Amino acid sequence: MSIKLPAPVQRFTTDLDEPLQQGVYRSALRDERLAAILGASLGILFSVCFVTGLYSHVQQNPLSWFPIQPRPAGLYRLSQGLHVVAGIASVPVLIAKLWLVWPRFVAFPVAKRASHLVERIGLFPLVAGGVFMTFSGVANIAQWYPWKFSFTASHYWMAWVTMGSIVAHVGAKWMIARRALARPSRRPALADADPVLGTTAEVPNGHGLSRRGLLTTVAAASGVLTLTTIGQTIRPLRKLGLLAPRDPATGPQGYPVNRGAANAGVVDLANSPAYRLEISGRVARPMSLTLDQLRALPTHDAVLPIACVEGWSYSAPWSGVRVRDLLAMAGADPDRTVLLESLEPQGVYRTSTLNADQAADRDTLLATHIDGEPLALDHGFPCRLIAPNRPGVLQTKWVTKVVVV
Amino acid sequence: MGHQGGGGVKEEHRAGPLFWISAVAGWLVIGWGLRGVFQHSIDTRPANLARFVVGGALLHDLIVAPVVIVLGVLLARAVPGRARAIVQGALAVSGIVALFSYPLVRAYGLAANNPTSLPRNYTAGLLIVLGVVWAVAAGLVIARLRTTAPGHTG
Repeated sequence: MSIKLPAPVQRFTTDLDEPLQQGVYRSALRDERLAAILGASLGILFSVCFVTGLYSHVQQNPLSWFPIQPRPAGLYRLSQGLHVVAGIASVPVLIAKLWLVWPRFVAFPVAKRASHLVERIGLFPLVAGGVFMTFSGVANIAQWYPWKFSFTASHYWMAWVTMGSIVAHVGAKWMIARRALARPSRRPALADADPVLGTTAEVPNGHGLSRRGLLTTVAAASGVLTLTTIGQTIRPLRKLGLLAPRDPATGPQGYPVNRGAANAGVVDLANSPAYRLEISGRVARPMSLTLDQLRALPTHDAVLPIACVEGWSYSAPWSGVRVRDLLAMAGADPDRTVLLESLEPQGVYRTSTLNADQAADRDTLLATHIDGEPLALDHGFPCRLIAPNRPGVLQTKWVTKVVVV
Repeated sequence: MGHQGGGGVKEEHRAGPLFWISAVAGWLVIGWGLRGVFQHSIDTRPANLARFVVGGALLHDLIVAPVVIVLGVLLARAVPGRARAIVQGALAVSGIVALFSYPLVRAYGLAANNPTSLPRNYTAGLLIVLGVVWAVAAGLVIARLRTTAPGHTG
């Protein structure tokens, strides 16, 4: 049984069992080998995003059986930097790959076998997931939220949908991709003779992009996007950061912030003489310190990064009171979890938690100074948490309560 | 019209165990993701999320891709052969960079009271990047025309 399409429509459809390059889609760039190279590159970039994304997720949603360690201090900075760099670099690869395989989208008949049907249904979460992950990620680093859902929750759960589709797709394309990648680059005469892939010759010299030219174009686009944004995390390249959403050297005291004091609604509370830092919970001696008392405590210096989930970061010299010293003064057990509360009246990030290892680290501070100057209001005056290997959103600012749990 | 002739499903098109095992494993993971979306519906707002996920795919498959394909055909007719590849490459890079920088140029995410939010002039940044891309393209075109000029090749 077969349904016939009218000839003018039929002309624009493709046959699933034929090579990508067929009918009206005769560009020599629609080539199995190119599709495999782009697909493998996307697979690697998306996997990097997935693994680093999972790490960011468990940083923010701790698992009891996988306590985040405070060392190495720069791990989150590296991991999240990679997440955003790989995500940005994948944009041109995804666009090129989708362009290349688009004729498959207009295949008719839609499926010839059960496996076709399974594979093609799986293409929907694959394409929709890939487009959604890159679009939502790029919009998020530009802090553009044209939607109503929570970015973090949706980006996280859709990552599983996308990765699942990639697993199914890799299994479906493994054989053909392996054959295409194993095939050495051929001269045109050989291409015509290749029975398996049936790819015709490279376009004649100088007429339109060659296959190598397309790969060069994709690499150039990825390179341009990377070079013009990576300066937000690699300071020596900041002058190249023409399209970077942040500049690691622009901000109060020369350092950027994600959310200032005015937007957090803490200006009056932070400046008030009534400010106290309270240490409470499971402690022998609850304490309530004024700003002067806090500043009179022994201080410790540490150079630590602030690494934002949005991929920008900077490293700075901080000084302040060690959390473990405060806990010892209050007579808390050393292996306790610690909850920090901000002056912020509301918001998802008004509290954060330190596990026992993080609280005990020598560099985990309630910082009062940056670069030797008292913290600016936007950086968390009177004091903020700064701890090694931690997302910026969990480096709670305007800390007013330390609760031993 | 297979190259090797013969009826039935050709060996290379037959779905083997690898296909089915990955399909099952992949769909289990997809199911896990969808379960998460619906279980956390207060945060994920499935109806709104679906508009962006489905809308994004349809926007690409039905509008963006066909438009790019048609543009490619028009470009192939309009640009002389020797310059065509370079113009195609430069146009692709320009389009992608413009797409990426669109939310920055429009300053959708600009936060009031925060001088560190979107601190640069992104319109200027985009123009500089495009300028560099097309300067490189022009250089390549000139170089190619020289090496393939009729007088040169004889």
